[in-house]
Amino acid sequence: MKTMRLLCVLLMCCSLSMTSRAQDDLSNMFKDSTTGHQPVTGTFKSTRIIMGHSNETLKKHELDFRVAHRFGDAGGEFGGGKTAFGLDNSSDIRIAFEYGISDNLMVGISRAKGSGDLTQIFEGLAKYRILKQTTDDHMPFSLSVFGNVTVSSMTSSDDLTAASHFDEFTDRMTYVGQAIIARKFGNWLSLTLSPTYVHRNRVGYMDMNNMFALGGSGRIKLSKRLAFIAEYYVPFRDQTSKDYYKSLGVKFFNPLGAGLEIETGGHVFSVNFTNSTAILENQFIPETRSSWLQGQFRWGFNISRRFSLFGKKDWKK
Amino acid sequence: MKKQIILFTVLLLGVLHAFGQDVYSCRNANLSFFSSAPLEDIEAKTDKGVAAINAKTGAIYFKVPVNTFQFKKKLMQEHFNENYLETEKYPWAEFKGKLSGPIDCTKNGTYDVTVDGNMTIHGVQKAYTEKGTVTVNNGQLTATCKFNVKLEDHKIKIPTLVIKNIAEVVEVTVNATYIAAATAAK
Repeated sequence: MKTMRLLCVLLMCCSLSMTSRAQDDLSNMFKDSTTGHQPVTGTFKSTRIIMGHSNETLKKHELDFRVAHRFGDAGGEFGGGKTAFGLDNSSDIRIAFEYGISDNLMVGISRAKGSGDLTQIFEGLAKYRILKQTTDDHMPFSLSVFGNVTVSSMTSSDDLTAASHFDEFTDRMTYVGQAIIARKFGNWLSLTLSPTYVHRNRVGYMDMNNMFALGGSGRIKLSKRLAFIAEYYVPFRDQTSKDYYKSLGVKFFNPLGAGLEIETGGHVFSVNFTNSTAILENQFIPETRSSWLQGQFRWGFNISRRFSLFGKKDWKK
Repeated sequence: MKKQIILFTVLLLGVLHAFGQDVYSCRNANLSFFSSAPLEDIEAKTDKGVAAINAKTGAIYFKVPVNTFQFKKKLMQEHFNENYLETEKYPWAEFKGKLSGPIDCTKNGTYDVTVDGNMTIHGVQKAYTEKGTVTVNNGQLTATCKFNVKLEDHKIKIPTLVIKNIAEVVEVTVNATYIAAATAAK
């Protein structure tokens, strides 16, 4: 009897609340709905940060035409007013066509002037997105892997001990393998960590064929279309190699770059300063011999223009 | 005792009634928009909208996760989310409103209706009054509505550089098929 009365009261409350819920505010029906495991977009604006790769890949059927340029030393012996702070010299130039085969896989070919032991370099590259950070942190970070192969087309040196003396064709080749771990923290900050492996088939005496390096980079968005970017690599060169080169008066430095990135629709411009003279990982990681502190840093820019090809066809499916 | 059992039954029915019959819901509402500018036509669509309608009171509701809109050009989609709609900050677009009158869900037919309510896009709310149709077909409701959204009204800024690529007024089309909420809940 008592329970019945209690039940009636309960039901009455229920009925009232449900009526009001159903009739006045339909939004409550979807209160629990979420956007799901949506991938985070735009961790970086471009597939590159300054010298190295970001976790981003091109989307399916996108063509990216890239031009990168590094000028001569801004200061020091070769810089200063007489070379317009390095603008009269170019230490490295790279022109590339890169293409998205799927939303997660991109490939590319490029030609770089090259700066270091080897010059006149052709490059083939591929990058694959393995993991995507999600907005609900179901996946807290993104992971991409990048690899490339380069071939130098320069004339073989007569000096048998030089890195640019080629006995066989494979002596002209170098490789890079890299994992890029990235996370976007809110809308304004993105960071990456990139364990990298560089292999050069032929190197100078006491240099290293295999070298590991750790890269770190970041972006701070200053506005929707302008960002500050910075990048740093630590190559792990062993002590005996360092000591040998030191005895020859050669010192290696860690590549450090900083710049501004501007996005205007399909273009991304990055204007930067780096101490490394080379653009490709194969060279700037093991062969950077110029130091910020001695004025051996330079202007550089990366221009990326993205085209969407076959867009209509994909979409109609 | 008998009286109480009757009361209990009536109340129970009341609860079921309130929960079920008048409210219709949809979990795959189609939304699309179209922007026509001198240099470029831009179109995007999603089927991830959710919607509900109360046929008795005329209350209607729409909600869509903005980052589910699919574009022809993926780079455009990225810019849409990153630069224009800022979906990380404002993940949903929402509409709360009322139909001009009740709909008789027992009778098949097409009703021309006027919808009155508030829409929130890009975190900015604005009142809209739009015309649409509701079709009743054997207990299933289909609502369609086409209306214009002025980007400026929702504080979506277009830089001068792309003024010829993006229209200032975008046409939005909504299409939802509802089933009775009690059935949907099952």
